[in-house]
Amino acid sequence: MTIQEKLEILTGAAKYDVSCSSSGSKRSSKGSELGSVSSGGICHTFTPDGRCVSLLKILLTNYCIYDCAYCANRKSNDINRAAFTIDEVVELTIHFYRRNYIEGLFLSSAVFKNANHTMEMLTSVIQKLRTDKGFGGYIHVKAIPGASQELINEAGLYADRMSVNIELPSDRSLKLLAPDKNKEDIFKPMKQISTNILNYQEEHRKYKKTPIYVPGGQSTQLIIGATPENDLDILSLSQKLYDKYDLKRVYYSAYIPVNTASNLPDIKNPPTLREHRLYQGDWLLRKYGFKAHELLNEQKPDFDINFDPKTNWALNNLSLFPVEINQAPYGVLLRVPGIGVRSAQKIASARRIAPLNYLDLKKLGVVLKRAQYFITCNTKYYGSVDLDEEKIRTVLKPQIDLNEADNPYEQLNLFDRLSDSSWKPKLLLPLALQIPSKLLLAEDCLTSVTGEL
Amino acid sequence: MKDYVYDGSFDGLLTAIFYAYQDKDRVKIVKAADYIPHLLNIKISVSTETDKADRVYNSIYSKLSYDTLSNIYHLYLSDIPDVENVILDYIKLCFKYSDTINLAKNNDTIRMVDKYKRRAYGEAHLFKGLVRFKEIAPLIFYSQIEPDHNILPLIIDHFKRRFSDQHFIIHDLKRQYAIIYNLKEAYLRDLSVEEGNQLSHSSESDPFESLFKSFYQSITIEERHNERQQRSYMPKRYWKHLVEM
Repeated sequence: MTIQEKLEILTGAAKYDVSCSSSGSKRSSKGSELGSVSSGGICHTFTPDGRCVSLLKILLTNYCIYDCAYCANRKSNDINRAAFTIDEVVELTIHFYRRNYIEGLFLSSAVFKNANHTMEMLTSVIQKLRTDKGFGGYIHVKAIPGASQELINEAGLYADRMSVNIELPSDRSLKLLAPDKNKEDIFKPMKQISTNILNYQEEHRKYKKTPIYVPGGQSTQLIIGATPENDLDILSLSQKLYDKYDLKRVYYSAYIPVNTASNLPDIKNPPTLREHRLYQGDWLLRKYGFKAHELLNEQKPDFDINFDPKTNWALNNLSLFPVEINQAPYGVLLRVPGIGVRSAQKIASARRIAPLNYLDLKKLGVVLKRAQYFITCNTKYYGSVDLDEEKIRTVLKPQIDLNEADNPYEQLNLFDRLSDSSWKPKLLLPLALQIPSKLLLAEDCLTSVTGEL
Repeated sequence: MKDYVYDGSFDGLLTAIFYAYQDKDRVKIVKAADYIPHLLNIKISVSTETDKADRVYNSIYSKLSYDTLSNIYHLYLSDIPDVENVILDYIKLCFKYSDTINLAKNNDTIRMVDKYKRRAYGEAHLFKGLVRFKEIAPLIFYSQIEPDHNILPLIIDHFKRRFSDQHFIIHDLKRQYAIIYNLKEAYLRDLSVEEGNQLSHSSESDPFESLFKSFYQSITIEERHNERQQRSYMPKRYWKHLVEM
């Protein structure tokens, strides 16, 4: 098998992993060695699905001993299998890196033989890159659940970021779709990595020579829509992961049906809008100081697809609004729909010079379409309707109900009915009003999947 | 109205600012390359005077701040038509109200400064990823780019640090100059398009180009096809020099 064929198979097998960030770590090349890492991360290209490519994302092999229902590489699937040798991965990484195609390596693998053997192979690849080749680029490596502590400890010394994918948000779903895995196996390495990071940090504070363990932190991924968990379950899990294990990111991946099985949902389009709302919620947790139970509760356990999570929260807590732009503290400004981190900073900065008027807000980049209902400017309320939940909901509602657009079931096609002579179309919508099968929101583009931060 | 015409260098711009700042008339600063004579305007050619440029430079640095100076340099590198007059307005504004005026993000001039600065800075960051090297001889790499803004001075340190063990050239075809790194130091030098093409054609096609192409094709998830998003992150005008497109 040529290296090209291997690359095609093993890239295709790795592509469903969402994470592609190269951020969180910083390293300058030492002397005349190759490679550096910049803390903000760098995207090197963007694929037609709009995701950034920053790392050479490949599996070491796709020969797998597990049979997880959702996975394209499960052992019962009849697909092309391949395996890289250690040297092939090392050479490929170095040569791509020298041409500035990539920021580093994202190495994952299917589990072959057993977890320990797989982890050992992964570790030897990155060990060779770092020590033999003096490679200073970014390395993201998967911790294989069930691998021994020593192996994971060692891998962390070479990697910038490590991740363990949870994939299914509850033990029940895990039993249903991935019977060979269990919750303990997944959380054990995660816990171990987070303790190691803390220990090494402590050590590093005393002795500067101590290396930093996994400087880019760890991340994980959850599949959305393959199992019946609601958004509250998912977001509470993320919250726990951020608080308890100090994860850098939790990625959400809309379930794409690659297999068919009786225990899998039968959907046509991946639920990308739901994924998008979850990402928005996730950013609110990490950057805006929200808690999962503020955004969702037992009565309303799912995000409203028609409104972004912050607007939704504000509408449910209208008693806290309107806030006065010229007086509200920064943390309160951040909670106003239509005001993001950047515009909140600008407001806080500009009002030190002089009080702001309503026109200024537009200049600062505040999205007044949403913000106008939740703020006062020099005590005057500028909203086009009264401060009333129903009225605001009506004006902010998107023109077409997005629940329809993100319907997991296929839209009825006009031509399916043509053979049925008794059926006549009653109304033909003008083109602009027809709902495309995969709808994109113009104003909130899916920044969440670019993988930065 | 007076047109101050300068040679296009940063020192030239600072010299032009030195003279235009104290001029009581309405003034405009134009690069010689962009200058179009106007019937009613008086043309004043400014030749670069290092001592005048230094005076402007030092007074901005000491009386205002390093950040303001850095803003001005970034604005200059943004290479946007008429940016010189934004710079002049900005300097006048800062000297009038002191450096704290930078906080007034609602001021029109400050907004322009932030916007243009972000453009230059943003493109420089994008090109840290979009530069594609071709191996023209063992461990000697060559790359062509056509950025909107004059970003080579902003990316030189990054590439020097990252590829410290290989020779490389990053060639800005639009401005016809290049970063050249020879394992010891990285410097900027004029390089014409013809010379660049000669370098580029001096070798066979690179085998890793086709490998990267197939990597790029296999990493795409068809079910999530979204070209509009792709173009918003990586506009089509940059695709010409990308091997995978």
